[in-house]
Amino acid sequence: MNTFMRWAGFIVVLFIAAPLVIVVPMSLSNASSLQFPPPGYWLGYYRAYFTDPNWLVPTWNSILIATATTILTMALVVPATFALVRHRFRGKGFADLMMLMPMAVPHIVMAIGYYSYFGQLKLVHTHLGVILAHTCLSVPIAFLVLSANLKGFDRNLERAAQSLGASPTRTFLHITLPILRPGLIISSLFAFIQSFDETVVAIFISGRDAETLPRKMFDSIRQEADPVIAVISTLLFFAVLIGIAAPYFVGALRSRVPKPSRSAGAH
Amino acid sequence: MGMSLSRLTEKTNIWPWLLLAPLGIYMLVFFVVPLADVAIMSFTEPRVSFADYQKVLTGTLYQRVFVNTFATAAFVTLSCLAVGYPLAYLMAHSKPRTAMLILLLVTMSFWTSFLVRTYSWMVLLGNNGPLIAFLQMIGIEQPPQLLFTRFSSTLAMVHILAPYMIMNIYSVMKKIDPALIRSAESLGAKGWSLFRHVYLPLTAPGIANGSVLVFVICLGFYVTPVLLGSPREQMIAGLIGHQIEEFLAFGLGSAMAMVLLVVTLIILTIYHRRFGLDKLWG
Repeated sequence: MNTFMRWAGFIVVLFIAAPLVIVVPMSLSNASSLQFPPPGYWLGYYRAYFTDPNWLVPTWNSILIATATTILTMALVVPATFALVRHRFRGKGFADLMMLMPMAVPHIVMAIGYYSYFGQLKLVHTHLGVILAHTCLSVPIAFLVLSANLKGFDRNLERAAQSLGASPTRTFLHITLPILRPGLIISSLFAFIQSFDETVVAIFISGRDAETLPRKMFDSIRQEADPVIAVISTLLFFAVLIGIAAPYFVGALRSRVPKPSRSAGAH
Repeated sequence: MGMSLSRLTEKTNIWPWLLLAPLGIYMLVFFVVPLADVAIMSFTEPRVSFADYQKVLTGTLYQRVFVNTFATAAFVTLSCLAVGYPLAYLMAHSKPRTAMLILLLVTMSFWTSFLVRTYSWMVLLGNNGPLIAFLQMIGIEQPPQLLFTRFSSTLAMVHILAPYMIMNIYSVMKKIDPALIRSAESLGAKGWSLFRHVYLPLTAPGIANGSVLVFVICLGFYVTPVLLGSPREQMIAGLIGHQIEEFLAFGLGSAMAMVLLVVTLIILTIYHRRFGLDKLWG
């Protein structure tokens, strides 16, 4: 059993890894259509990506939309999470469930809803429309991360600050926020990625004017499979790799370098 | 002291409501209303009737698409389990370094946009791709068309959704107390029987979690089946999109969307009753 599982496991590793890494050689290929192994190598498609407004504008749109979505999501979710984690009130169970609902509804269903509803509000094909829709879809993931963090928060630290004379505002700014910072950063990051990767709703409502990168990639793959997609895939591949590996390396560095300990009087 | 505390709890505290209000209003306007719009359109577009539901629920085309969608989702779920279980096992029972490398790989796959992964499968399975070349090399003169078939879209969906299954099963396996396995062994269980009666039941919660998640995502999957699948064997989400994009048939599209939504919510409600929805995403 054990050896069988191990062998099967190693085969699965190949199955998972191959499609991830194949985009790297593909991005350097000089073939104009899908061909593997590539007949030759050049950097032409990288130049094409970094000079073609047809790709750069959607990239910029995606960054803009994801940033605005993250800010709006956090502005709405942070207070709501405090309410749901720290207070008991009637209807809390329902409110908890509602926070997760956008995750439970298939995106194609939301896409039709936004297409029709935003059509009436004149929000189709606008950046604002995509931001408003993406914020709704980012709420559950931001809430899940943040509420897990807040549940593990030791409230005695706040009580200690207040018993030493800190006002509620000061306690919040100097105790609560700094302790929650990792949770806030991670939930912001998740909200950003959720918006940056979101495809289905963007296909239906972003149009030509607010076209996002996933929408552009979808159209391109559907029509002619422009080799530039391999370039973008490679860039996204390395972005994810850096995003995942960075904390490991930072952690490894930190554990080697002795932490400068702060004495009580050091301000 | 006791009195002031009870008075505090008796008085309706408005703080939580103030903190919740912005998000509550937002969700009402930008989540509930658009969803209600779909529900209303499903029996008012173009005129008030249940004709679209009748068509969706009894028409042979639609029934075939529903059956196809369910069969695909079930097959993808089972395949993810077959692929994910050994890998989770390898991760849970390897040296820490190996386990961490595999975890890194699975996490990479999880966070890589599924458009990227869909594109990769297009390269791998394409007519000028490595798989066709391999088939020709081993002597198959005319390899079958792999891309734009049910095979290609199913394979890509298994690859895309497997990390959900792996993460769920791994997190359960990691917590299994080795003493349980040892004591089962000391009582004479070994090989298949040890696995079947001890190890497998212990990992059941992870299997349930992963399966529900994969099945539900697969039911509503739009992008990959549309890009990689056969146009003649659409899944429900693809057909919904097609009705809206090509024919502006909002009534028909919405009726199908409502059926998809209801089925999804039924599955998630059963799950919620047993485990709690917040556990699903980890």
